[in-house]
Amino acid sequence: MFIADIKKDFYDVVANQRVALLVAADIDALCACKILQALFHCDQIQYTLVPVTGWQDLSTAFLEHKEQIKLLIKEDDDLGVPTYDDIFRDEDEEEGEDSGNESDEGSEPSGKRRRFDEGAIERRIERQRAKRQWEARRREILFDYEQYEYHGTSVSKMNCREKKSFIHFGLDGYVAAMWAIIGLTDQWVHDKIPHMKYVSDIATVQRHVSRHNHRNEDEENSLSIDCMRISFEYDLRLALYHHWSLYESICNSYYTACSFKLWTLKGQKKLQEFLADMGLPLRQVKQKFKSMDTTIKENLRDVIEESSNKYGMKDIRIQTFGVHFGFKNSFLASDMVHAAAALLESTERDENDPTDNFIKALDALSRSHLDRLLSGIDLAKKKLIAIQQTVASCICTNIILSQGPFLYCYLMEGTPDVKLFSKPLALTLLCKYLLTAFIHSTRNKRCKLLPLIMAAPKDVEKGTVIVVGIPPESETSDKKNFFGRAFEKAAESTSSRTLHDHFDTSIIELKSEDRSKFLDALITLLS
Amino acid sequence: MDPSEVEFLAEKEFVKIIPNFSLDKIYLIGGDLGPFNPGLSVDVPVWLALNLKQRQKCRILPPEWMDVEKLEEIRELERKEDTFTPAPSPYYMELTKLLLNHASDNIPKADEIRTLVKDIWDTRVAKLRLSADSFIRQQEAHAQLDNLTLMEINTIREFLLDSLNCMYKLRSNLQPGATKGQFADY
Repeated sequence: MFIADIKKDFYDVVANQRVALLVAADIDALCACKILQALFHCDQIQYTLVPVTGWQDLSTAFLEHKEQIKLLIKEDDDLGVPTYDDIFRDEDEEEGEDSGNESDEGSEPSGKRRRFDEGAIERRIERQRAKRQWEARRREILFDYEQYEYHGTSVSKMNCREKKSFIHFGLDGYVAAMWAIIGLTDQWVHDKIPHMKYVSDIATVQRHVSRHNHRNEDEENSLSIDCMRISFEYDLRLALYHHWSLYESICNSYYTACSFKLWTLKGQKKLQEFLADMGLPLRQVKQKFKSMDTTIKENLRDVIEESSNKYGMKDIRIQTFGVHFGFKNSFLASDMVHAAAALLESTERDENDPTDNFIKALDALSRSHLDRLLSGIDLAKKKLIAIQQTVASCICTNIILSQGPFLYCYLMEGTPDVKLFSKPLALTLLCKYLLTAFIHSTRNKRCKLLPLIMAAPKDVEKGTVIVVGIPPESETSDKKNFFGRAFEKAAESTSSRTLHDHFDTSIIELKSEDRSKFLDALITLLS
Repeated sequence: MDPSEVEFLAEKEFVKIIPNFSLDKIYLIGGDLGPFNPGLSVDVPVWLALNLKQRQKCRILPPEWMDVEKLEEIRELERKEDTFTPAPSPYYMELTKLLLNHASDNIPKADEIRTLVKDIWDTRVAKLRLSADSFIRQQEAHAQLDNLTLMEINTIREFLLDSLNCMYKLRSNLQPGATKGQFADY
């Protein structure tokens, strides 16, 4: 959505109408959806929530609802929005209605529909000509713009930032801040924004949160323990470690696993040395974190930071937030992201409706469905273990091949847990971990600067694979991903049967038979 | 009477809120509710206060009796006396539950208040049980208890009346030949 700054304009327009909310299937969009839902509930605005998984879904949903709605709100943190102008324009043209307005309001489409005026044929012809010219120019601009796809500020954070103008609507900024934090952490976990941006965004949110915390805690902590508290933490980068054992968490978080190279025997020994260096007995470290000795837990973070500096892991601690309510429930933002992502893409049951999973993931983010969140955490643990094992087997069997301008890896159908990796988010995570692991394990200097393309079987009956490309790993990368355009061009030139449906253009579906010629085309394109 | 009915009656009590919106005076069947101005406190019934709170349109101020020291004094007094002392409010139990469930962030020391109110409730209900027990045992004809709230009366009403009915039947059966054959199955 291209509203620049003043959300007040948007909200006032929307306030008295019925709204259709089309939400993409990733955690940032979910968080923004939650914020908007809270707003709509408070002001009793009717809305329809439609989860969409790709451009086709988006257009179907739009066509279904177009009779009743005038303004579309699509939530996506990716700035590839202008394309939905096409949807507006195409189907209006089919119906032959007077849609001349839309060429004027390119970036803020409010598709006002007017009845076909029979007497205005000349006006129409003139307008159509102007429109064609405009469209040609637009295509040029869009091509340059979409060449590098990257993610703008997290949508939920944008929503939260405009909170100030919402204060007079009385929105509880605190709960919205929680969702903004989760959306931001999702971008960081799935590697969509560079580290610097994450840190600066965290600082902004921290200001909001501390302002609210100060307001509440003037007389000696008089707030009930049941109220939700958000606290700023400089916590460890180990995934889910509060809900798991410390040992498991170290083994299954990509940062530690790759630094120690835990797929080798030497790596395992190094891990044991590391634990011994810190003075943590193995028995303690292997039991559930909540039941660990409190004397050990007190200085755990500092002790780990000291030791990890010795072993070359400089960034073991990261600034993040934790949510606490009640005595038992405290979650870090990254825990919630992992849980929600695992629920969103769960392959537990065979005929799972994507809408079902979407609703489950949405529930997990709210405070009243703690059991959902806990089941999400369990699923996330399984997912992380699966990712780690797959990475280990890929590195050990050397199935990552250097194809020249990029690295390539194909997951065979018989690989365990391969069903998990037919989903885009899980596959992207696997890709990222694999690339880091590969960089740590290879000696070839040139290979360390290459991007990675990964393919995994998506649907065995239809014979399709899902292909994901991620940019090369580097300290100062701004995470711009050129694979979207590259995939499109390669598909065109070899006339492979591809589906560029996903909002993230670097993820596509491909027929398995066309895989080899697609790859060859890519190699020639990128070299 | 159902406890939820008692809670419904309790929601008619007035409580002070600080709205963050403005609205002119509204005229409802039950009475007028004064003009709402952001930042100025106004008295509204509890049902409206809770609705506004859930829509994040107001801040609820705790009633005067909902204060840790006052409740501690009442609790001590209750434990000392054999009879019932005046309750903090005729609907203290329901109001505590409603306000602490929905607006605990506006009420300081909410956890302690919850514990104190529960203590007061336990003491009073224990006294009530004791009194009902002695009433039945000594087969008194009438008794008078002051300072009971509707919720407490409701708790004991069904049991007390049923047990008195049973006692009556047992007593009337003891009279020789009087109500033979007239015993209606209870």
